[in-house]
Amino acid sequence: MPPSLFRDLTNLGGQAFDRVGELTDRVLDGNLRIGVTGLRRSGKTVFTTALIDNLLHADRLPFLDVVATGRFIAARMEPQPDQAVPRFDYETQIARLTAPDPVWPNNTKVTSQARVAIRYMPGSLLKRRLRGVTRLNLDIIDYPGEWLLDLPLLDRTYAEWSRETLELSKRHPRDALAAEWLAYLSNRDPSGPAEEAVARRAAELYTNYLLACRASDQLLSLIQPGRFVEPGELIGAPVLAFCPLPEPATRAGRHTLWSMMEERFEGYKTNVVRRFFAEHFARLDRQIVLVDVLGALNAGPAALADMQTSLSATLESFHHGRSSWLDRLLGGRIDRVLFAATKADHIPSNQHGNLRRLLDGLVAERRNAIRFEGAAVETMALAALKCTETVMAEHQGRQLSCVRGIPLGRTEPTVLYPGEIPDDHRLLDRDGIRKLNFLDFRPPTLAGRHGRGLPNIRLDQALEFLIGDFLS
Amino acid sequence: MTGRTREPGSRDPDYIQPMELDPRGNVIVVPDERASGPLPSGEPVEGETPDPVPAPRRWAVRLLVGSAAVLVALAVGYDTVDLVRRAFETSMVLGIGAAALAAGTVVGAFGLLAGELRSLRRLRQIDGLRADAEHLRTAGTHGEAERYAGAVASLYRDRSDLAVQLTSLKDHLSDAHDDREVVRMVDLQLLQDIDRRAYQLVLRASRDTAIATALSPAALLDVAIVLWRNLKLVREVASLYGARPGYVGGLKLLRRMLGNIAIAGVAESGNHLVAEALGSTLAASLSARVGQGVINGLLTARVGLTAMHLCRPLAYDETNRPSLKRIRRELLSVPKQVL
Repeated sequence: MPPSLFRDLTNLGGQAFDRVGELTDRVLDGNLRIGVTGLRRSGKTVFTTALIDNLLHADRLPFLDVVATGRFIAARMEPQPDQAVPRFDYETQIARLTAPDPVWPNNTKVTSQARVAIRYMPGSLLKRRLRGVTRLNLDIIDYPGEWLLDLPLLDRTYAEWSRETLELSKRHPRDALAAEWLAYLSNRDPSGPAEEAVARRAAELYTNYLLACRASDQLLSLIQPGRFVEPGELIGAPVLAFCPLPEPATRAGRHTLWSMMEERFEGYKTNVVRRFFAEHFARLDRQIVLVDVLGALNAGPAALADMQTSLSATLESFHHGRSSWLDRLLGGRIDRVLFAATKADHIPSNQHGNLRRLLDGLVAERRNAIRFEGAAVETMALAALKCTETVMAEHQGRQLSCVRGIPLGRTEPTVLYPGEIPDDHRLLDRDGIRKLNFLDFRPPTLAGRHGRGLPNIRLDQALEFLIGDFLS
Repeated sequence: MTGRTREPGSRDPDYIQPMELDPRGNVIVVPDERASGPLPSGEPVEGETPDPVPAPRRWAVRLLVGSAAVLVALAVGYDTVDLVRRAFETSMVLGIGAAALAAGTVVGAFGLLAGELRSLRRLRQIDGLRADAEHLRTAGTHGEAERYAGAVASLYRDRSDLAVQLTSLKDHLSDAHDDREVVRMVDLQLLQDIDRRAYQLVLRASRDTAIATALSPAALLDVAIVLWRNLKLVREVASLYGARPGYVGGLKLLRRMLGNIAIAGVAESGNHLVAEALGSTLAASLSARVGQGVINGLLTARVGLTAMHLCRPLAYDETNRPSLKRIRRELLSVPKQVL
């Protein structure tokens, strides 16, 4: 399609221009762009906030080598390089998390960016002689997790996507949620004339279905396209007025409902998805993939499978592999990927090993593919903000490892035995084999007191893996 | 893959339904409970270093030494009692004086003995800690390392120079760390600082020996200097790591170290150093004495580093092993300093 090709070219030109500016930046200072990848509700915003907070205070990162060896000097927030992107509102987030009555961040609605500049002494004598005190600029991006699932669309045609989505919507537990939309579609002919009203109504019903998926307690993560549920600045734009259709027998006719939808789908890919990818993900150096394993476990095997598919599809869009210095300069490849099971504080700490192994099994396929491409991959269980403590409690003469914290919506702390999570997801195939129960906990009261930064679990080791070599 | 399914209840007799428990009930916060738990006795495994060669007639030697010691103690005690009795016969004042002196001697001897025994026990305790740490590092367990951390911390409890490190160790440890992480944390927060200081001690001692040997006029004096300086270094390093050895402990340590050094191959390093020293143009013109000084310095460095290995409550891993490299460089500048 000529117009989209042209648009791609202009995009490319603009990017090239941006990159020249960035290039000089990179040569002069160390720049590192971290992609915080995660489906919705995996805790990207909290992770970003905790990351910034802990870097600024640097008092709860004992395993970050630069801090442990006393070479860390200070860090502060600086204006980010992309002027057009909103700044990540760290101050508000941290204020809300550390308030006397703390609350979790709301759904993220738009992308935002933060830059943290770290000043440190290089570890090797040679570098220290050459450069003295050095700095590293760390760029972190926060965005609605819903949008991430748009990335797999780039490799799909409208026909493929329609088929997959329709198939999925007819399966349990989605079939009930999709009933109204499917009923509406069954009365329409895709090869009939293109009517705006029909398209709008169908898109609206489809959006309702997606919203229902999002709201369901099954924690369904495969929600495409992401802008339908989290439109950002695109509310009501015609590019959002499409939905999957059953493929017509004959593909003839230019002004059919099918062809109109197909055109909009392609337009969505070009104008929304590709732009999002190019602006935020194409230049990543390092990637952390946050996975809310516990939430999915709580919701059941369907949610777990859903999450696995979504993650796997998403990660295919990125370029991984060892980057040469030229790649590094141009920001071409991601050479380190960390898979992190978030909210590890929701289970007693003696189960962290199992949680890590469980995640390892879940992402095994992608992990091996990425490793094959040449990037380093690691899995971890972490908590960006530690809300609970592990305690031993006695129950019918047995010692149980429990977590103690204040659940959401309550004021008194409780002691919860969440069950034992297995170390392999295949043990979870059937409902009820292992009943697990995780509660959502409130952020700890006055978490940031003593100016030490937010309490966390293994944030330092995650950082060491992600940026440690840049700070050596 | 696990194709078989069973009833949830029958799956596992140990299965416990997830539940909330009464927060006011019998709940123990984990790290506190562990940290205040009883210290490990630090008893090492019996026969910690099994001798590769069976020791022949060990019981005979023991019998000989033991009997002789008891005999001497008996004789000395008998004579002392006799002496005190005769002193009382001569004069009351003299008698009281002699008795007091005898009592002082006995108390002093027991005090010394107790001190030596305590220091030996400390050394053994550190050996035990090192074995514990090795186990914790590899076992992948959770919740057992707090006791280890507590034991190491209590080893350095009275040290004002480590107060900062101890506080930061306490601050950074949380209930979320598994055993490997706790051990690493002890290493990072506490021991690496001690390592740095111990390394400085070794560096200084080896330079001292090198210069003193190079300058000393007599060979016999060399031996004395090297021996004295090495013993002093070992005791310094050991005290820094909290082993605080007595005389016997120091000697024992030195003996073990000499064994280790022999295995590590001093000859190799000596040759290497001579080659290096004589290879350079400046050193080629130096007298043999200076070369000998450098070798003695290197020997001292080896002794010091081995002492560090043996006194540390946690074995070094591949990354933080103290190396001879810097000391060697330092020592090679000694000839220039001397000339």
